[in-house]
Amino acid sequence: MAAVTATAGWLLRLRVAGIRGQWRRLHGAGQARAFLRPASAGGDAVQRRQVAHFTFQPDPETHEYGQTQKMNLFQAVTSALDNSLARDPTAVVFGEDVAFGGVFRCTVGLRDKYGKDRVFNTPLCEQGIVGFGIGIAVTGATAIAEIQFADYIFPAFDQIVNEAAKYRYRSGDLFNCGSLTIRSPWGCVGHGALYHSQSPEAFFAHCPGIKVVVPRSPFQAKGLLLSCIEDKNPCIFFEPKILYRAAVEQVPVEPYKIPLSQAEVIQEGSDVTLVAWGTQVHVIREVAAMAQEKLGVSCEVIDLRTIIPWDVDTVCKEECFLNLEAPISRVCGYDTPFPHIFEPFYIPDKWKCYDALRKMINY
Amino acid sequence: MAVAAGVLRISELSRGLGQAGLLFLRRPGTRGLARCHPQRQQQHFSSLDEKPQFPGASAEFIDKLEFIQPNVISGIPIYRVMDRQGQIINPSEDPHLPQEKVLKFYKSMTLLNTMDRILYESQRQGRISFYMTNYGEEGTHVGSAAAMDNTDLVFGQYREAGVLMYRDYPLELFMAQCYGNASDQGKGRQMPVHYGCKERHFVTISSPLATQIPQAVGAAYAAKRANDNKAVICYFGEGAASEGDAHAGFNFAATLECPIIFFCRNNGYAISTPTSEQYRGDGIAARGPGYGIMSIRVDGNDVFAVYNATKEARRRAVAENQPFLIEAMTYRIGHHSTSDDSSAYRSVDEVNYWDKQDHPISRLRHYLQSRGWWDDEQEKAWRKQSRKKVMEAFEQAERKPKPNPNLLFSDVYQEMPAQLRKQQEALAQHLQTYGEHYPLEHFEK
Repeated sequence: MAAVTATAGWLLRLRVAGIRGQWRRLHGAGQARAFLRPASAGGDAVQRRQVAHFTFQPDPETHEYGQTQKMNLFQAVTSALDNSLARDPTAVVFGEDVAFGGVFRCTVGLRDKYGKDRVFNTPLCEQGIVGFGIGIAVTGATAIAEIQFADYIFPAFDQIVNEAAKYRYRSGDLFNCGSLTIRSPWGCVGHGALYHSQSPEAFFAHCPGIKVVVPRSPFQAKGLLLSCIEDKNPCIFFEPKILYRAAVEQVPVEPYKIPLSQAEVIQEGSDVTLVAWGTQVHVIREVAAMAQEKLGVSCEVIDLRTIIPWDVDTVCKEECFLNLEAPISRVCGYDTPFPHIFEPFYIPDKWKCYDALRKMINY
Repeated sequence: MAVAAGVLRISELSRGLGQAGLLFLRRPGTRGLARCHPQRQQQHFSSLDEKPQFPGASAEFIDKLEFIQPNVISGIPIYRVMDRQGQIINPSEDPHLPQEKVLKFYKSMTLLNTMDRILYESQRQGRISFYMTNYGEEGTHVGSAAAMDNTDLVFGQYREAGVLMYRDYPLELFMAQCYGNASDQGKGRQMPVHYGCKERHFVTISSPLATQIPQAVGAAYAAKRANDNKAVICYFGEGAASEGDAHAGFNFAATLECPIIFFCRNNGYAISTPTSEQYRGDGIAARGPGYGIMSIRVDGNDVFAVYNATKEARRRAVAENQPFLIEAMTYRIGHHSTSDDSSAYRSVDEVNYWDKQDHPISRLRHYLQSRGWWDDEQEKAWRKQSRKKVMEAFEQAERKPKPNPNLLFSDVYQEMPAQLRKQQEALAQHLQTYGEHYPLEHFEK
């Protein structure tokens, strides 16, 4: 990407300067490098790719679960899958491209370790992947399905909402697919545009019968994923892809579980409550620090973690709506599809969140 | 031309092979036109010298431009054992089932037919909200159910009650589900005919069509891993076969090598849509080879043909870990459901033909009679007895109360979430004040 940008910049400058002699450099092998000027040479005319809109804030290391290891988020996922495959002989992991390790490396090494009947590719068909996973789960075996990007979960919407979510209820508990977990890379990544950036949890948030979970960090991811896998209800686990490599923490090697449907108050506060999930938790953590520093405002920061069934009691105390001093503010992307080049303007970054907080304080 | 000719040859062969038993349509052979040339340096360049290297297909080159013509005039032939009068055509195809078993076939089909008549009527009279009959398709249910093991998992669509009947699902439970009474194992949650039975390995039906197909494949994959010599059978209609889930299921079953039987009931209609508007190819059986699936078309109104095909398919599915596709040709004699009046889109004459001239129950009865295993007196007695059984179950089902309204709230998740418990309490409180406006007297306390 950077090379093309530099090239375009270089060619633009060529036309402007009218230096025709330089065209000769276009011909012949080995002149290709002439195009690839370093981006810095172009000065401000060339836009560099943006840095992330957040800074990952690791949680303090925990020794509660034994020995830990430095892992990024995708490694934490691999570790959870490894633990599951090791302890549950019925467990299988499948989806597009999982056999070689997955497009985000979440399943690296698992096929070699557990065999091709347990870690395998499926044809390119999301409705098939989820339907197939439901069927495995109906027999009582543990099915861990991967949907390559959350943006592609929609062909499976019918299987998730009409089938998986309703399996137990409609059969009077004669049958269920509780041992199904669907995991999928989720959320903005800086350049994903419409179809590699979506956060579709809202489409599932009102579907009784499934659970939807979004972790903020490697430690949270492993514990929550293990809870999803062992949970007796079909679960969807969205993994913030921008954190796959950017988030690094000490993560226990052994399995451990973080409870579902429990939000976490990661910072106590008395003036304003900030609620988010996934990547956005790191944004609002920073906003809380800014609010303290610039406005002297004390913020409570909550990571929702499970979207459905959600932890109402932690987020709103009974009758809280009678005691709010300002209307609730939602800071999110605009009502447009997720754009490519405009991503920096689109996302609810810390400045927008800070501004909303400031307006709220001054309400 | 070569490939089309190959397909034609196979179908011609199979017609002539009536004596030799079942023939599953195979993929056209990979031996093509090219002859092997020995390596010769000064050879004049010929495109036939090179073998294709593409990973995507195992085939020879051809230098003649020709499109494969789909063959729908002379489609995949229909395997049958009995003629329309119930006489065995080729004695070597007679499965020679014992009298007891064939009588069970007959009684299952006729009991189903009797139950259908009574429950259809009960809907007309407003006693149940909805019903779907199985008229004309009883042979597809019973022949296939008899060929499977009783512990094989069944995924159905909605017109397979005969499978449950064959597995001895009691009339009381059929009725309980249709009435949604307190005896319903499904706890009154679904519309009538959405049966399910864990004990009899019949997965609860759901209304969305074809969703069961990839699920059945997953279940078959798990059965393969469990190494317990089980197969899965998945039923669907020719209309449901148009859904994306059907394509997904076929492809997954083939690529993942699953021991599954796909059983398509091609009954000529999807509600009002005739097959000419459902597909343009040679039915559903012709799609199988496209996925690499062993396929066959059978006379669905011939219970022995259905039995033989399913039996062999099951044996091989388990032994070879591969899927089989059976397209059972039949005819939907009844309306789609009680919400349908099929005289709006087909003639009474057409329906009568099937009812009178080619009915699975009549054909089997003629077979039984010709064997001396059944006669008019037994027929009369059985009709009376089966009607009585159905009426008794019916009256009992009607008298039973509905389940406790608390069962509205359970089984959404394995555990009841706090918010849902609050809603349950809210309803209980509401009923305390406003209970008179609700039909509480029909529900268990």
